[in-house]
Amino acid sequence: MDKKLEALRIEYKNTPIPDDLDFIVKKALKQKTKKNVNKMKRLIGIGAAALIFITGINASPNLANALSEVPIVGSLIKVLTFTEFKVDEETAKMEIKVPAITNMENKTLESTLNKKYLAESKKLYNDFMAEIEEVKKNGGGHLGVESGYDVKTDNDQILAVGRYVVSTVNSYSEYTYDTVDKKNELLIILPSLFKDDSYMNLINENIKEQMRLQMDRDPDKFYWLDDEMGFKTIAKDQSFYINDEGKLIIVFNKYEVAPGYMGVCEFTIPTDVISNALASKEYIK
Amino acid sequence: MKKEDVNELFVTCMNDHKEDFYRLAFSYVKNQEDALDIVQESIKKALISIEAIQKSGSIKSWFYKIVVRTSIDFLRKQKKITLVDDQTFEFLSHGKEDTYNDIDLYNALDELPILYKTVIILRFFEDLKLEEIAEIIDENINTVKTRLYRGLKLLRIIITEEELI
Repeated sequence: MDKKLEALRIEYKNTPIPDDLDFIVKKALKQKTKKNVNKMKRLIGIGAAALIFITGINASPNLANALSEVPIVGSLIKVLTFTEFKVDEETAKMEIKVPAITNMENKTLESTLNKKYLAESKKLYNDFMAEIEEVKKNGGGHLGVESGYDVKTDNDQILAVGRYVVSTVNSYSEYTYDTVDKKNELLIILPSLFKDDSYMNLINENIKEQMRLQMDRDPDKFYWLDDEMGFKTIAKDQSFYINDEGKLIIVFNKYEVAPGYMGVCEFTIPTDVISNALASKEYIK
Repeated sequence: MKKEDVNELFVTCMNDHKEDFYRLAFSYVKNQEDALDIVQESIKKALISIEAIQKSGSIKSWFYKIVVRTSIDFLRKQKKITLVDDQTFEFLSHGKEDTYNDIDLYNALDELPILYKTVIILRFFEDLKLEEIAEIIDENINTVKTRLYRGLKLLRIIITEEELI
């Protein structure tokens, strides 16, 4: 580059940056948040102060320090909190934790899962914000959504991440699971565990048996079973995970097979019931 | 693009490049307080029209555009109110001459018409692409090139074709 131009460039780049710049930029950016709140206040007609944090690990060192990490012995694959969405108002509370899986060799699987988690959380967040407005229009009420994840199984072979959404809007709760084969870095889906579709019947019969047994033993328990709306069959891609002992766990969301008070129902399927239909004994023992 | 995403991107962009934006504003107004005002004013303007952004990649050049316009607006307004007679002007503008070695060179840039100064700063100091500059000043790429050539010629700087692009 021309010497004169270079000198001009250096001179330009050496423009002293005042200490106030940081403060002024922050202040100016904050005005938006304030304006937003006012808008929302008008929209929803409440006096609650709303704070919306959308923070990422990279943006906030505090969060990075506080992030929950699930270390795995003998493996580098980790599940950690990638982002949190938070709304904290007088009548509306929301907390969504978005998990992220890291250190997988199979980057396609890793990013597919992580993108899915993020997309689901964003949708949840948007739905919630829409719901706030809707409820406030109709006279107000309390709202709340909590979403997060827990690691159900984490051993040498299996990583099962369960994500839950609990809502006070309609006392709805939902669990979804992803079971990952850590050795081969594959996402395990229910049909892939079995040779053919016969597993559905085997599992159905076993679950019905378990339901009856539970109801006989404990009068407080109740499943919808022998009537029209009752449990007939699991879905081909029914929610499931594999627990630490290598047992298959079938999961039903609230209201799926039982009244709301029963909550989320889990059934452990004894391995001998399905052993003939299993494609391999690698995962289910 | 979703509103939250744009806001988030904008905040990140501001945090990453606030110093570049400040320097650009300073290059026009030549004093710290006014430059800070311009940064603040530009952020305000940006937040009002943030919904208009379509692509995430263009946020940075979009904000450069706002800074450039805000700065030029500011200078225009200032011209109306600061009428100084020639003698005072002469006296003030040469007050610092002895403190810097290369003041003549740097002054030369400041004495360039804003038209040329803007493109030279954006191209050679802020390292923007010709297309980005075209977008910022709302002109086509050939106009940007012409202004760069003329501006450099006025500064008596000679560079090769490759360096320009």
